[in-house]
Amino acid sequence: MLISSYSIEQKSDHIMGRFWAMASPCELLIEPQDSMLANHLTSVAYAETKRIEQKFSRYLPNNPMANINDSQGKPIAIDNEFFRLLELANSCFQLSDGLFDITSGVLRQAWTFDGSDNLPSPDAVKVLMPFIGWGKVKYDQSSITVAKGMELDFGGMGKEYAVDCVAKLCTEHAPTTSVVVNFGGDIQVNRARHNKQPWYIGIESPDDAEATKVLKIISGGLATSGDARRYLLKNGKRYSHILNPETGYPVKNAASSVTIAAPHCIQAGLLATMALLKGPNAEVFLEPQDVKFWCYR
Amino acid sequence: MQLISKSHIVKNNKTVANVNTALAAAACALLGTSPIVQADESVWEMDTALLYYGETDRVTAVEGVFSAKKDFGDEHIFSGKIVVDSLTGASASGAVVQLNAQTYTRPSGKGQYVIDAGDIPLDDTFHDTRVQLEAQWTQPLWNDMRGSTGVHLSKEYDYLSIAVNGSLAKDFNQKNTTVSAGLSLAFDTIDPEGGRPVAFSEMVIDEGQFANEEAYQAAFDATRQKDTDDKTTVDLMFGVTQIINRRMLMQFNYGYSMSDGYHTDPFKVLSVVNDKGLTQSLVHEDRPTERNRQSFYWQTKYALDSGVADISYRYATDDWDINSHTIDSRLRFNLSDNTYIQPHFRYYQQGAAEFYQPFLIKGITLPTFASSDYRLGEMTAYTLGIKYGVKMASGNEWAFRLEYYQQDPKNADFEAPGMLQQLDLYPSVKAVIAQVSYSF
Repeated sequence: MLISSYSIEQKSDHIMGRFWAMASPCELLIEPQDSMLANHLTSVAYAETKRIEQKFSRYLPNNPMANINDSQGKPIAIDNEFFRLLELANSCFQLSDGLFDITSGVLRQAWTFDGSDNLPSPDAVKVLMPFIGWGKVKYDQSSITVAKGMELDFGGMGKEYAVDCVAKLCTEHAPTTSVVVNFGGDIQVNRARHNKQPWYIGIESPDDAEATKVLKIISGGLATSGDARRYLLKNGKRYSHILNPETGYPVKNAASSVTIAAPHCIQAGLLATMALLKGPNAEVFLEPQDVKFWCYR
Repeated sequence: MQLISKSHIVKNNKTVANVNTALAAAACALLGTSPIVQADESVWEMDTALLYYGETDRVTAVEGVFSAKKDFGDEHIFSGKIVVDSLTGASASGAVVQLNAQTYTRPSGKGQYVIDAGDIPLDDTFHDTRVQLEAQWTQPLWNDMRGSTGVHLSKEYDYLSIAVNGSLAKDFNQKNTTVSAGLSLAFDTIDPEGGRPVAFSEMVIDEGQFANEEAYQAAFDATRQKDTDDKTTVDLMFGVTQIINRRMLMQFNYGYSMSDGYHTDPFKVLSVVNDKGLTQSLVHEDRPTERNRQSFYWQTKYALDSGVADISYRYATDDWDINSHTIDSRLRFNLSDNTYIQPHFRYYQQGAAEFYQPFLIKGITLPTFASSDYRLGEMTAYTLGIKYGVKMASGNEWAFRLEYYQQDPKNADFEAPGMLQQLDLYPSVKAVIAQVSYSF
């Protein structure tokens, strides 16, 4: 099992390292220096990604995230990395005027976006509302207190964070090698290639899962929020999977997906999620941000 | 009501505009990285080259070039260049070949050299090291314009040149047409070893006629001006670049150059011969203090399926009466995705300057200006070369160039007296150029 945890493949002008983590295909495109280095970088990336997944996934038992979500209102000790992620979540909450809220994950108990017309009953949503609200979470550098019934979910940040961490590790291990870290379309390129050529990366089109569009990226981060296949459709009305923590209901007129290029993958991902939360105003929100973006509706 | 909603929008915009900046800072805090935007950080592009130029029996030059270029974002581009070259060997003194050995005084006045009978008089004291520095800044300006400005400095042992330049370019017609205008100002100072010769002064040759060293030195010094002299040059350039179609690009340039000051070559002399063709004396040359030159240039580049054809023609004319034609062609063939060969052919033809004289005749009134420098005479020249380039997997590129260059001076209807008729007054100059360059 360990042997097949990741694979290395020689491509025409790069080496590809591949593994599966965070419910997503994870790829590293590495400038052809030598396959030993590529193997090393992929194993480092695999270990780091697994570490982050083990620590922060809300789907796994007995990890720090599960301990917090099962804490029943008792304070739980956190480490510095956890604290820094909470600080970022806090910044996003402030910057989005409360729309980006990592406690809104409990709404999934009512909402299942499977393409069907199964809307939850208003009461099912209503009973969850008291358990949402970042403002109710108390934390400091060493501990966090989450009220009983509330949950944290790093779903909108975890994969992007892993991409950035892996890219950073690659730079530390091989400072002069250009590496693309691509976890299911969340991408970070640690530095430009030696041949000054951009990397060409195919990402899934939001309109058609079969088609891919090819992006040129020299260096920096790229992330996409939104998923065209996750929605509900009832009486001709489309309900996006982006939920407004203030109403408990999907954001109206949200873009189906937003892709953003920014220096860091996590920065791009958070900005893309915030744009979705802005509903019909996604473009108006993104226009003055001085980033390259692609908004699909 | 409208006012209120408007101010509300403005206020909202103000807050959202800060989101990305705040997120960038928050992401950096999370990742423990500095908030330098890596996406915008381009790399330095560097080029190095080593060139060898060797003329048969004459000048040998070795030149090293290092240049670097960087785009600091949004087409704000800096480029810099350092050139160091070293010249050694001999160059034509301007005197004519004779059937007997000739003794010359070195330009410094210190020492002599002897040219064997039948040999072309070459001054073998020719050696110098030159350092050249260049810096250029280019950036977009208002109204779809691009501006560029730079400085240039070149220093040799006895020569200093300082130049500044500026140019503007503007795109039209969906960037299919680019119009540009440029101005360059150069200021040169010369201070040759041994001083600048007095125009048409006779070369002082110590053949035992001087009582002592002081008497020789006094006679030599009488032919020299000790202070430095200078030259200013103004160049104007106007250009149009037009994209003809997906494969073809054309460029037209017009240049006007005005220079004022010292144009004379302090190391060149003319032979004064009698009606038998025998050298009676050697006098230092003198050239006009002004020169105005116009040039017309046309270039076409055509992209082939596996290569590029590049052909250009230049016509230049000046008020010294030197009219020249240059045809230059390069054909690049891609041998594979990362290798190419590029044959090169250049042909050059020029007419003689109005004051060019291969020699002066004894007893004839001296002209106002005269030079026997073959480079001012009638001549043709051609270059044949080949270049091979290979791009490495790393993206770095090696290139190797080998060229043969031949200059063939011609007689511009000068009648040679006596024995000069049997001698080659217009010898060809043959040179080999080899260059290795590496870009990374």
